[in-house]
Amino acid sequence: MTVIAVISPKGGVGKTTVAVNLACKLAAGGHPVRLVDLDPQNALRLHLGADPADVNGLVHQTLQQSSWYYTEYDSAYGVSFVPYGKGSEFERITFEAHLSQTPEWLRDNLMELGRDPNSYTILDTPPGPSVYVQQALSIANLVLVVMIPDAGSYATLTAIEGLLDYYCANRTDFYGSYYVLNQFDADHPLNRDIKTVMQTVLGDRLAPFPIHRDESLSEALAYQQPAAEYAPHCQAVDDIAQLTGWLQNQVDQAVR
Amino acid sequence: MSKPKIAYLPVSAPQFKGGERRSKSRAPERYKFGKLNEWVIAAREWYGWEHSYWRAAAMIFAFVLFLVSMSVSLSLLGQAIYAGMVFALALYLRNYTGTLFTLIMIVFSVNASSRYLYWRYTETLSMGSWLDTFFSVTLVIAEVYAWLVLLLGYAQTIWPLRRLPEPMPEDTMQWPSVDIFIPTYNESLKVVRPTVLAAMALDWPREKLNIYILDDGRREEFAEFAKSVGVAHLTRPNNNHAKAGNINEALKVTSGEFVAIFDCDHIPARSFLQMTVGWFLRDKQLGMLQTPHHFLSPDPFERNLGTFRRVPNEGELFYGLIQDGNDLWNATFFCGSCAVTRRTILLEVGGVAIETVTEDAHTALKMHRLGYTTAYISIPQAAGLATESLSIHVGQRIRWARGMAQIFRVDNPLFGKGLSFMQRLCYSNAMLHFFYGLPRMVFLLAPLSYLFFQAHIINASAVAIAVYALPHLFHANITNSRMQGAHRHSFWAELYEATLAWYIFRPTLVALLNPKLGKFNVTAKGGLVEKEFFDWKISEPYLIMLSLNIAGLLIGVVRLFWWNTFEVDTVILNLLWTVYNLVILGATIAVATETKQVRSSHRVNCNQKAMLKLASGQSFVCRANDYSEGGLGLVMPEADMAPLNSMARVSLFMGEREFVFPAKVVFARDTIVGIEFDQLSLQQQMDLVQCTLARADAWLDWDDNRVVDRPLAGLKEICYHSMRGYQHLWGDLKAGVQNSYRNKPKEVHPERGLFYHKEPSGDQIKQGFVRRKLSGFFRVGRRLLLRPTRS
Repeated sequence: MTVIAVISPKGGVGKTTVAVNLACKLAAGGHPVRLVDLDPQNALRLHLGADPADVNGLVHQTLQQSSWYYTEYDSAYGVSFVPYGKGSEFERITFEAHLSQTPEWLRDNLMELGRDPNSYTILDTPPGPSVYVQQALSIANLVLVVMIPDAGSYATLTAIEGLLDYYCANRTDFYGSYYVLNQFDADHPLNRDIKTVMQTVLGDRLAPFPIHRDESLSEALAYQQPAAEYAPHCQAVDDIAQLTGWLQNQVDQAVR
Repeated sequence: MSKPKIAYLPVSAPQFKGGERRSKSRAPERYKFGKLNEWVIAAREWYGWEHSYWRAAAMIFAFVLFLVSMSVSLSLLGQAIYAGMVFALALYLRNYTGTLFTLIMIVFSVNASSRYLYWRYTETLSMGSWLDTFFSVTLVIAEVYAWLVLLLGYAQTIWPLRRLPEPMPEDTMQWPSVDIFIPTYNESLKVVRPTVLAAMALDWPREKLNIYILDDGRREEFAEFAKSVGVAHLTRPNNNHAKAGNINEALKVTSGEFVAIFDCDHIPARSFLQMTVGWFLRDKQLGMLQTPHHFLSPDPFERNLGTFRRVPNEGELFYGLIQDGNDLWNATFFCGSCAVTRRTILLEVGGVAIETVTEDAHTALKMHRLGYTTAYISIPQAAGLATESLSIHVGQRIRWARGMAQIFRVDNPLFGKGLSFMQRLCYSNAMLHFFYGLPRMVFLLAPLSYLFFQAHIINASAVAIAVYALPHLFHANITNSRMQGAHRHSFWAELYEATLAWYIFRPTLVALLNPKLGKFNVTAKGGLVEKEFFDWKISEPYLIMLSLNIAGLLIGVVRLFWWNTFEVDTVILNLLWTVYNLVILGATIAVATETKQVRSSHRVNCNQKAMLKLASGQSFVCRANDYSEGGLGLVMPEADMAPLNSMARVSLFMGEREFVFPAKVVFARDTIVGIEFDQLSLQQQMDLVQCTLARADAWLDWDDNRVVDRPLAGLKEICYHSMRGYQHLWGDLKAGVQNSYRNKPKEVHPERGLFYHKEPSGDQIKQGFVRRKLSGFFRVGRRLLLRPTRS
């Protein structure tokens, strides 16, 4: 089982979109894929056509000391997902307090769901450092940092690197952390320049092909479909497909 | 934020991979590696070859055998059997791969041709009447010329070197400084601009690259353009010695270690310098390195016959094979463009030669005389426009022919200091080649001397001529097809030469008598043939030769059945020869029928990744199928993705870099979308050239659609074009006759306007019937036997 944590320093960079489409692409390649939404926004399920009125999620299962087994859904796109769930503010605070006391929470729950070596688990996290990111980084085999090509994102680079160093660097089962630029538009000189600078700083850790800014992605969400389903020929889908291949290649190399 | 630094692409693996792929298509799999090859290799490994006396003995034995087989006198039957056996052996060996078998076939061919000529000289010269003697001697001289050129051609291309690029040192500090010269005289800025932009995009340290537009037109527009893009604009007060003088003048005010010269319409690929300069660093005596002149548009032959990229064009034999063959003997010629020269050596020979109108070849000759070397890399690293019309094409060839004849006179490579034997042969062949005008016309008219005047130009029976001449022709054909097939299809040389023969015959003769006569004419580029027309002016000589041959054909047929029927076999032989000439002449007529050129800037096929971003913000993965200066043809993944007339942005990719261009959708049908660029900035124009025409791999796959040469297929295709030529001629003649009958303006119908047609009269119906019958004949004839071989 390969665990990929998708994190980002800032909100609104399209992290959930990348996670969902990455998962769909991996599933299309024949792997069992599970998506876990650790973001209190509980938005991941909407990409996969879930019923917006359904409030069930891992918050409730944890608070009721039940298993994730009862909150894992199958989607129509070959991936299963565990939503965060919709609870009251009190429930959230209690839940987060529970997490900070039980560092093994995520690992235990995932193990309970199965440990097929061929499968991928993708963790979607809220932006910035939080207890969720902490849990995710402690068990991830591979971390994908989603950035957008602006100065603000670039400024957070050192903070993210610090986080990765703290949680991941010394683990033997950690393959590496990789960056991808989302919402890239080569028409804007600043976008191109940031890409060049990030390439210099990160070298091989930056995915060679950025994901282009594409309206089709927003439209896909409006139709509650993964982009590959809604607009299979759009550039962003192609970019994510390339990214998936590239990440799998990194995993293969690390495993070998 | 600082501008990203340009990374210098190393000359990397993909480019060599392209080379491998190309060599695959050049050596088709029809040659096999069999037991025979193994035996030959074993024989080659024999230890005896290490001793010089064995080698000498073998040489003497082979030489004596050659002389005997050339001169021994046989009965007709004996000659037929002998020739048949040798030819069968050649046909058998032809199937095997390997240079040794090529060499054996060359020996067979030289032997058959020499035997024919020996027999012609010893037994068939007819010295009867003065008429017989005149025709007979003329024909023999033409045949000796053909024999000489055949032999020299074999020697020149016996073992093409196929040199690979030499890698540059890792450290770019060691790379030398290079000046790029782009001489121009009267070409429009539209033609020159992409070349300058591509030169600026060359992958070379910026501080070591200087670009000069050498403007002999002294135009304000060019000075402004040069200033706006930051290149130098050099002018001089006079235009003495045309291009050569222009370059020499620029040499005085520039200082780069190397000088790369591009004609103003030759767009270099960004890898050009890295592919070429390496050899200069390795070989300090290297004075000049040439790369092929590759053409992105069809030349008049290709356009008017519709053979672009399918049949090798006229220049390809030279750039694909002859230059590579020359390279083995250190005799590569300078061709005036797409080449790099070492400044010190160029200055040592006095700059570019000014004595002749082919200054380039003469300059290389001068370098060779001083003991310097030249080199050739047969990988297209620049592309330009081909000549637009047959008349312009003919003009260019006249200049080359005149120039080569001039060099033959003023600086004959057979004499003078400094050249090796093989260099002398290579240069001689290059020059002798341009004297084909007269011999070609002799061959085209020779049978008429018998049919018209009953002159016995070959004093032998028809059967005897057949058993001696046919082996000579057949061997030459299959050997050349094996050696040149990838660069010149069988029988096409006849067409190319027949088209030009009359035109180059006079200037070569004049230049031979007085090399000072004649002036440099600039080859026009970038024009447009706007509507189809038959070039009556240029085809006058073909039409005259055609009429004579038709007259000969008629007389021959009459002589066959009704009148003077005593020499039936000789008449038949001459008739066959006449028919062959008519086929070749018909094809020249087809060449002279100028077909319409649709676009002013040429579409270049490609297949590269692209992205189309619509105004709505959606972007789609697509592929660019072709490009031109003004736009792109895209293939979309699905039909009807881009609305017509909408604005869009197109991205092209170069490695990991992406370039975006504003564009407008001007065509959309099914998955094909045509876009037109919308006011590109200077930087964008430069980027566009860089990701299209100047790509390092832009010209690697250009010959993928090539049909493999087979001698009979070549003949068939020529026959097909010939048929079309006659069809065109017939149509034009008829239209001309009709026009002269009713030379009044067309009646305008009061209601339906000009395009109203009256009911045809009885006469017209009759004419129409005849026309239908004739076109039916052509159609059926074409379907039955003359369908061209298409892949």
